[in-house]
Amino acid sequence: MSFQQTFRRFTFALALSASAIALAPTAVLAQGGTLIWGMPAETDTLDPHATGGWSTYQVTYQIFEGLVKEDLTKADVPTPELIPGLAKSWTISPDGLQYTFTLREGVKFHDGTPFDAEAVKFNFERFWDESSPNFYKKAKAFVIAYTKWIKSVEVVDPMTVRVTLKAPNYQWLRQGLQSYGQPLMVSPAAVKQYGNEGIVAHPIGTGPFKFVERDQGVKTVIERNDDYWGNKAKLDKVIFRPLQDPATRINALENGEIHMITTPPWDEIERLKGEGFVVTTNKNVPYINFIHLNFKNPALKDIRVRKAINMAIDREGIANEIYRGTGRAEYGMLSPGTDAYDPNFKSFTYDPEGAKKLLAEAGVKDLKLVFEIPQYGTGEIVETWIQRDLKKVGIDVELRKYEWVTYLGKWAGGMPEDVAMNEIGWGMSTPSWIDIVSRCDSAPPGGINSGYYCNPEVDKLLDQAILERDPVKAKEIYQKANRIIMDDAAFVPLVDDLQPIITSAKVKGFVNPPEDWYDLSIVSVE
Amino acid sequence: MGSFIARRLLSIVPVIFGVSVVIFLLVQLTPGDSATALLGPQATEEAKQELRQALGLDRPLPVQYGAWLKRTLSGDFGTSIATQIPVTDLVLPRFVNTLILTSSALLLAMIIGYSIGLFAALRAHSAFDRSTMSLSLLAGSAPEFWLGLMLVLLFAIKLKWLPVSGMEDMAGDGGLLDLLKHLILPAVTAALGPAAIITRIVRASLIDTLRRPHVRVARAKGIKRASLLRRHVILNALPSITTITGLQLGYLMGGTLLTEVVFAWPGLGSLLYDSITARDIPVLQATTLLIAFTFVIANIVVDVINAMLDPRLREA
Repeated sequence: MSFQQTFRRFTFALALSASAIALAPTAVLAQGGTLIWGMPAETDTLDPHATGGWSTYQVTYQIFEGLVKEDLTKADVPTPELIPGLAKSWTISPDGLQYTFTLREGVKFHDGTPFDAEAVKFNFERFWDESSPNFYKKAKAFVIAYTKWIKSVEVVDPMTVRVTLKAPNYQWLRQGLQSYGQPLMVSPAAVKQYGNEGIVAHPIGTGPFKFVERDQGVKTVIERNDDYWGNKAKLDKVIFRPLQDPATRINALENGEIHMITTPPWDEIERLKGEGFVVTTNKNVPYINFIHLNFKNPALKDIRVRKAINMAIDREGIANEIYRGTGRAEYGMLSPGTDAYDPNFKSFTYDPEGAKKLLAEAGVKDLKLVFEIPQYGTGEIVETWIQRDLKKVGIDVELRKYEWVTYLGKWAGGMPEDVAMNEIGWGMSTPSWIDIVSRCDSAPPGGINSGYYCNPEVDKLLDQAILERDPVKAKEIYQKANRIIMDDAAFVPLVDDLQPIITSAKVKGFVNPPEDWYDLSIVSVE
Repeated sequence: MGSFIARRLLSIVPVIFGVSVVIFLLVQLTPGDSATALLGPQATEEAKQELRQALGLDRPLPVQYGAWLKRTLSGDFGTSIATQIPVTDLVLPRFVNTLILTSSALLLAMIIGYSIGLFAALRAHSAFDRSTMSLSLLAGSAPEFWLGLMLVLLFAIKLKWLPVSGMEDMAGDGGLLDLLKHLILPAVTAALGPAAIITRIVRASLIDTLRRPHVRVARAKGIKRASLLRRHVILNALPSITTITGLQLGYLMGGTLLTEVVFAWPGLGSLLYDSITARDIPVLQATTLLIAFTFVIANIVVDVINAMLDPRLREA
């Protein structure tokens, strides 16, 4: 062989081995892969004490943890089980007023600082204790539902914290696990270093993932926390991509640019299934779509009219033909996904003839009702169906559409007399959600009982339910309240959303739990 | 020439000031505020009041506007209410992204418009002319949203040549080639409307100039076609062409919102869309001001170019 040939072979071999070496580490690193999730909305702020929406909690849930957690790794349960989080155990005093949390040892925040009772105290001061220099005013508006119960917080010893409530409330722990203002633990060192506002750029928690970067409008990136105290995440990274337009989300999924979407347009689900994508739903997601009936509206003051509206709407039709099986007809006002929910509860069946009779009895003719609705990306299909159903029994419904935030303002402010109905869809994994929706003192402006429904019987039962330590007995009480509410025909429950989520076939281990957010530490991507 | 430019630049001040007042008032008059947007279903009156106090939204309107103006004049554009990110950190990168998109779209529109318009004018009433004019009518009237989605369906989903969305490959490392691949479909989508308009104006302006007496005289004198075009036709036709091109830049700056939403292009348009939905006043103010400012500057540049081309315009 000539010198040139040898030289060429040598350099070729060198190049080959260099590229092999360059490729090898990447092969080793990519064990769990990177999950790219196309979200319908941008997260707002990454400070868990000063935010609320589901889209944001779906991100912060991976980074932060609270003393108590919900087990989101199981799909086929009526409600997610309450499991130890940063507290390895807790006791509730017999009078229900004192919660003593024994903290987990050896846990560190992502910045290396220790998690202990002082850190817990700091966090409570930040969102609850107005007399403390650590108090963050903005947080108060978000956590108020949880903190209004707290009387005092004390450090018993470096690994024990006691929270004393003003009155017993056996739903309190669950109430702290909903997306609005949760008592998640933020690193006190980070707050001290970056300030209350600056923490959004440095969201430091204790969770299975830690924050990498946020490019607002483009992506939020988190990566595996290799020092996590519990089961380490499989994924290397998760990238959250806001893609507002539903068509763009579907296209990006089909093109392989993202691996996962939530809230797909209903008519795309079959097609995507056919193309090999995986569709999961969960029949216990706490998400109920319902109509508030306005008790201040002259026509709706008559219970026969309210009952007629309930009987005139074909819920099964909506669930089958519009939701295409990703919704379930709902007949009661308890949120699914709780230990008080009963899937067999029935109230009004679809009976247009019966509705017409009731309206005739009530002496109602040519009734015109105003129905305020928010503008959806998917179009107002359900509302138009309802309009058609009511027309069949002789009620003329005028749909008034408003942009989302405008609508929220109107809904939260309470309906004026001339409006008969509005609608909303949400829920919680605590049955005390019904308090927020139906109590007398939940009427606006104090609350969001938009139709001003008020029945002292119901309030009495709900007062009792919260004092009931045994979930089985509590369920009985909540169901009694549910029955009265439906006997009063106070609302029109429509359809439970089963939260269809579409993932690419490359995504393994994803669980669609009975909640509106997900544990991504059990997921991997091929 | 100098005083002409100076007079034009001075006109920026009242325009920008006027825009800021109008936007501020419009947001205040729109029902629902950022406290409602942030609190969602938890938006009880009590919670909203707490949040408004914490954010300073409960002060009287003139006080709020005055505080905003004072801060802005000293260069501090405030913090986004929704994300708590400083407004300049939010807006500037998006501005750059929109500039990339709009300048590419404008460049494309100019290339298409000038070349086709020129050829159509020189072959007026021919088959080429008639077919390109019909095509430009279609392109100009088609909704941007629909055009974008159709292009995505063909080039990204069916042919898999180009990506569906975004400015960069999420899982990859970026780079110029990656950016260019992501730029093609949105730039073409944004360019089609302006291209149609520019084509028509170029054609009309050239045809009009070609008919003028001085051109006929030049032809009669026997001046060759290339020289004729260069020295007697194009320069005279330019003012209306540059004006319309400048207007297209302004239109693109404000109008790429739909393209940006369809392609998830992180520009000013989609930021505007998000901040309107969230009633994020500081971001809204900064974004609209920036768009207004760019529009005004673009038009001043066009006026200056026209004045340079045609001394008769310098008195204006």
